[in-house]
Amino acid sequence: MSATRLILAVCEHRDGTLRKISHEVVTGARRIGEAVEAVVCAAGPVQGADQLGRFGADTVVTLTNASFARYAPEGYAQAIAERAKAGGYSAVIFAASATGKDLAPRVAAKLGVGLAADCTDLAADGGAIVATRPVYAGKALLKVKVATTRAVLSLRPNVFTPVERPKAGTTETVAVSVPAGRVVVREVKAAEAGALDVAEAQIVISGGRGLKEPANFKVIEELARAFGGQAAVGASRAVVDAGWRAHADQVGQTGKTVSPTLYIAVGISGAIQHLAGMRTSKVIVAINKDKDAPIFKVADYGVVGDLFEVVPKLTEEIKKLHG
Amino acid sequence: MKIAVCIKRVPDSETRVKIGSDGKRLDEAGVKFVLNPYDEFAVEEALQRKEKAGSGEVAVMCLGPAAAAETIRTALAMGADRGVLLQTDAIPADGFVTAQALAAELQGGAWDLILFGKMAIDDYNQQVGPMVAELLGLPCVTAVAHLEIDGTKGIAEREIEGGVEVVEFPLPAVLTADKGLNEPRYPALKGIMAAKKKALEVKPVQLGPGGIEVLALTPPPERKEGKIVGEGAGAVAELVRLLREEAKVL
Amino acid sequence: MAEIVPAQHQPPLPLEQLILKDGAAGAGDRMELDVLIVGAGPAGLACAIELAKLAKKNGGTVNIGVLEKAATLGEHSLSGAVVNPRAFRELFPELKDADFPFRGRVTKERVYLLTANGQWRLPTPPTMHNKGYYVASLCEIVRWLGAKAEELGINVFTGFPAASLLTEGKRVTGVRTAASGLDRDGNPGPSYAAPNDLTAKVTVLAEGTRGLLAQAWCQWQGVTSANPQIFALGVKELWETKRPLDRVIHTMGWPLPSDAFGGSFMYPLEPNLVALGLVVGLDYKDINLDVHELLQRLKQHPRFRAYLEGGELVEWGAKTIPEGGFYSLPNRHSGDGAVLLGDSAGFVNVPSLKGIHYAMQSGMYAARVISGALVAGDPSIRRLGEYDRVVNHSYIARDLYRTRNMRLAFKHGFVPGAIQAALMTVTVGAFPGWRYAMHADAEVGRRLTPGRGPGSIGLSKVDAVFKSGNSTRDTIPTHLIVGKDVSAEAARFYAHVCPAGVYEEVDGVLRINAPNCVDCKATDVLGPRWTPREGGSGPKYKRM
Repeated sequence: MSATRLILAVCEHRDGTLRKISHEVVTGARRIGEAVEAVVCAAGPVQGADQLGRFGADTVVTLTNASFARYAPEGYAQAIAERAKAGGYSAVIFAASATGKDLAPRVAAKLGVGLAADCTDLAADGGAIVATRPVYAGKALLKVKVATTRAVLSLRPNVFTPVERPKAGTTETVAVSVPAGRVVVREVKAAEAGALDVAEAQIVISGGRGLKEPANFKVIEELARAFGGQAAVGASRAVVDAGWRAHADQVGQTGKTVSPTLYIAVGISGAIQHLAGMRTSKVIVAINKDKDAPIFKVADYGVVGDLFEVVPKLTEEIKKLHG
Repeated sequence: MKIAVCIKRVPDSETRVKIGSDGKRLDEAGVKFVLNPYDEFAVEEALQRKEKAGSGEVAVMCLGPAAAAETIRTALAMGADRGVLLQTDAIPADGFVTAQALAAELQGGAWDLILFGKMAIDDYNQQVGPMVAELLGLPCVTAVAHLEIDGTKGIAEREIEGGVEVVEFPLPAVLTADKGLNEPRYPALKGIMAAKKKALEVKPVQLGPGGIEVLALTPPPERKEGKIVGEGAGAVAELVRLLREEAKVL
Repeated sequence: MAEIVPAQHQPPLPLEQLILKDGAAGAGDRMELDVLIVGAGPAGLACAIELAKLAKKNGGTVNIGVLEKAATLGEHSLSGAVVNPRAFRELFPELKDADFPFRGRVTKERVYLLTANGQWRLPTPPTMHNKGYYVASLCEIVRWLGAKAEELGINVFTGFPAASLLTEGKRVTGVRTAASGLDRDGNPGPSYAAPNDLTAKVTVLAEGTRGLLAQAWCQWQGVTSANPQIFALGVKELWETKRPLDRVIHTMGWPLPSDAFGGSFMYPLEPNLVALGLVVGLDYKDINLDVHELLQRLKQHPRFRAYLEGGELVEWGAKTIPEGGFYSLPNRHSGDGAVLLGDSAGFVNVPSLKGIHYAMQSGMYAARVISGALVAGDPSIRRLGEYDRVVNHSYIARDLYRTRNMRLAFKHGFVPGAIQAALMTVTVGAFPGWRYAMHADAEVGRRLTPGRGPGSIGLSKVDAVFKSGNSTRDTIPTHLIVGKDVSAEAARFYAHVCPAGVYEEVDGVLRINAPNCVDCKATDVLGPRWTPREGGSGPKYKRM
C-alpha cells in the first residue's frame, strides 16, 4: 500500500484551552500514521493548539461553531464525522477521556463502523491497524485488527506518553454549520474542593496497620499535601475496619480499585485483596519495616525501614521538588 | 412509561481469566456468568421510572447465547415485564454489529427511554448504547450518574475530569447508566417466582463479521521485577531520584 | 499446665431469636409452599428432586421451595471428595455413571503415615477402600443437581438464608429468612430488604454441618443423643499442578500432634487439578493448634511438595464435619412438620470419609415419607416418624453402627486409637461392645501453651479468604454472638481455631473481622455462636 496513511487526531479543549491529553492523541496517531491532522471543535481559537506541531501534527484544524464553546455531543459528532468522510483518513483517533468515550462511538456509528476503544498500543499492519486493549478489568489483553476503510479508535489516557517529534503544525480554522443539538451541556459543576477521591487522584498514598494509631495518619496526609493537591490518601481494609479511616478511602477488592500514576503503600503488608485494588497502578512504591512483606513483590521500588523515619524524609524531598 | 433496557451476560468480575485453547477467547470452564453490573443500574432505573409513572412496561433485550435467558430472568425477577433474547453464539468483537442487531429489534417500539449500562465489564467497549442511539436517530447521554425527568424533558449529570457535566435532553432518549445512579434492588422471593411465568421471546439472529477481528487474547505483561532501593531514611534521596529519572512520575 | 475450657466462654444458642411463633411481627413478604427445604446441598436437592418425581408419578403437583444462603448454587459447598455413586443411581435410574457430575474413577489409592521428612506406607484400612468410587467436586455435584431440580419446576431461591423457625405449638410451620442491607450497626441501609416468612406443611432442615436451625429444633424439642455431636475442621485447597496425580492419597501422623485426631487427603479431579486438605478433630488439646497453619506445613512435606512445586493454588476453603457417628445421631430426626437430613442429622461415616451419598439417600427417604404424608394430609410426627424408621433400618444406620466407636477410640490419642480401630475392623465392630462416651468439643480443656505469632509459611489467612472467593461487603453487621468476658487466652484460642482470620487477639482484646467468615462453623462449635448473614455473604467456591 503506498497511499499516505493520514490520521485524524481528535483533540479536546476545556474553556478554550487545549487539554494536555491531546498531546497523547497526536503521539498515538504518529505511531501509525505518515501524516497527522489534529482537529478540535471549539467556538473560537484554542489556546495551545498551535503547540500540537511539536508532537507531530502536520496540520491543526479548528472546527468552529458558536455552539462548540462547551462539549456539544451531536454537533461535535457531526462535524468530525463529516470531516472524516470528506478527507482520505485511514483512521480517526480519540482520547478515551470522559468526552472521548462519549464522542467516539457516535462518530464511529456515523461512519458505519465499530470502535476499538481504550487502546494501550497501536501498530500499522499493511492497510489495517492492530490495536491492543485491556479487557476483563486488565486481567487480559485483547489484540484486534481493524480493517475498515476508516478505523475509529480511542486511546487510554496516561499511556501514550507524549513524544516530541516536531512537524509543521500549520493551523487552519474552518467554520462549520451543524443543526442545533438536542443534547445540551448546560453547565459544568467543578468538583468539590478539598476531598480528592482516591479513584481520581494521579497520586495515591495509602496507609495500613503499620501506622499503629489513627492519629499517625497525619504523617501520610503531610506527604499528600507535599504533592500540591494531586495526591489522595487511601487506606487498607484493616485500618478502615478499625475505624481509623472512612470506607470511601479503602483501596482493595471490597473497596475502591485505583490506577494512579504513582501508588505509595505505607505500612501495608500486601494482602491479595489489597493488591486487587491497586495492581494496575503505573508505578508502585512500598515502605515497610518487614523486608519479607508481600507488598515488595509487586512494588517497583521498595524501602525497608521505619515508616516514621522514611515518610517524613520523603515529604521533605518532595517539598523541595515542588517548592 | 415504555422503557427498554439492553443487557449483557458477562463473566463475574472475580473470574480468574484463563485463555481458551484457540488463544482468542476466554476459557469458559467453571466461569460464573452474571448480569453486567452497570446494566443493573439501568434495570433499576427503568423499574423506578415505571413505578413513578404509575404504569407502563419495562422490556429487557439481550444479544447473547441460549444461556443468556437466565440473565434475562434475573432482570425479570427484579421486576421487568418481558424479555427478548436475540440468540447468537458468537458475540461480535465489533460493537457496531451488536448495535445494529439491537437497533433492528428496538426500531418502531415507541420507547420513552432506552437504557444501557455504560459499559460491559468483560470487553470494556463502551459503545453500543450511543451507537444504537445514532442508528435510531435518538438523543443520547452516556455515563449518567444522576437523572431527573419532567414529562418529556430530562436533566442528566455525568462525571468528567475534575467536575460534573449537567446535560439537558428531550425524551424519547437513549441513556447509559453509571455507578451511583441508584441502588439496584435484589430480586424478591415473589419476584423470582413470578419471573418464571413472564414472557421471554427467543429470536435467533445471524450477524455479519463486522470490521474488527480478534487476533489474540493474552495475559497481561508481567510487571518487571521491582527493587529494594535501600533501607531507612537514607534511601529516600535515591528513591526520589529513581522516581524522577527512571520512572518519570515526579 | 493451666488450661481453658472453651465452653466456659461460649454463649448458649439464642433460642429466643431462632424459634419464633408463626405470625410474629417483622416479616415483609409471606409465601406458602407445600414443602420447604432449607439448604440446597446434596441432601436438600435430592429430597426436592425425589419429591417432584413422585408428585409427577402420582399425577399431582407439589409446590416445593428450596432456600439457599449462597448467592449461587454450590458456592458454600465444600468436600474432599470421593463419592459412592449408589444414591445417584437410585435417584436417577434412567442415567448411567458417565452422566453423573463426577470426575475420574478411583483406580489407585495409598495410605501413608507421615513423619517430618518421610512416610510409611500403610495397608489401606477396609473402611477406606475407594476403588470404583469417583473423585468429584461437591460444587459441581450441587450445580448439576440444581439444574435437574430447575428442570422439574422446583423453586430454588439462592441468596436467602433461613434465620429462624416459625412454629405453632410444637409444630414447625416454616422459616423466616434473614434481612439484608443492614449497616454495621444493624440499621436498615438504602438497599434494605425485610426478612420473608415461608410457610409449608413440612419443613426439611438440610443445612449441612452444624446446622443452626437443626440445633435449635433439637434443643427446643428436647431431642437428645447418646453422645454429643463432635466435629472436625477441614481446610482444603485446590491446585493446578505441573506434575500429574493418578491416585487417591490419605495420610495420618505428621504434622498432627499425637493427641489430635485427623489426617489429610489428596485427590485428583483431573491429573493436573488436585484437591488436598487436612482434617483435624476439634477436641485437640493444645490452644495453639491451627488447622490452616498445619495444612501450610503439610504442603512442605516431600510427598506433597513433589506435586505442588511449580503449580498454582486456585481455591481455598474450610468446613467442619460432624464426626460423632452412630452414637451422636439425634434420637429422633422428625417431628410435627419437620425432618432433618444429611450432615445436619449427623449422617457422616468418618472412618470411610463418606457423607454425600448418605445425605442424598436421607433426602430421598424423607421425600418418600413426606410424599405419603402430603397425600394423606397428615404432616404430623406420626406420619413423618416413618422417616426415622426407614433410616434406622437402612444402610445408613447399618454403616454408621459398624464403625460406631472407631473415631471415638482416638479420644486418648493416635496410638491407642489406632490399635483399637484395628481391633474394631477385625471384629467388624463387635469390639469393644459398649459405647465410648465423648465430651462435646467445647467441654474439652486446652493446654495454655505459650503463645506464638502467626506462621509465615504458605498462604496467609487473609490471602486464603481472598482465594475462597469471599467478597462480603465490609459494612455488614457482625453475625457472631460472643460470650461475655472473653479472656486474652480465649481470644488467642479463637484466633487459632478460625481458619479465615475472623478472630485476632490484639493487646489482650478480641478483634472480630466478621466479613472474613467462610461459614465453616468451627466458631459455632468452640467459640462465638454463628448466625447467618445476608444472602450471598461468605465464600464463592467454584470447584471445591
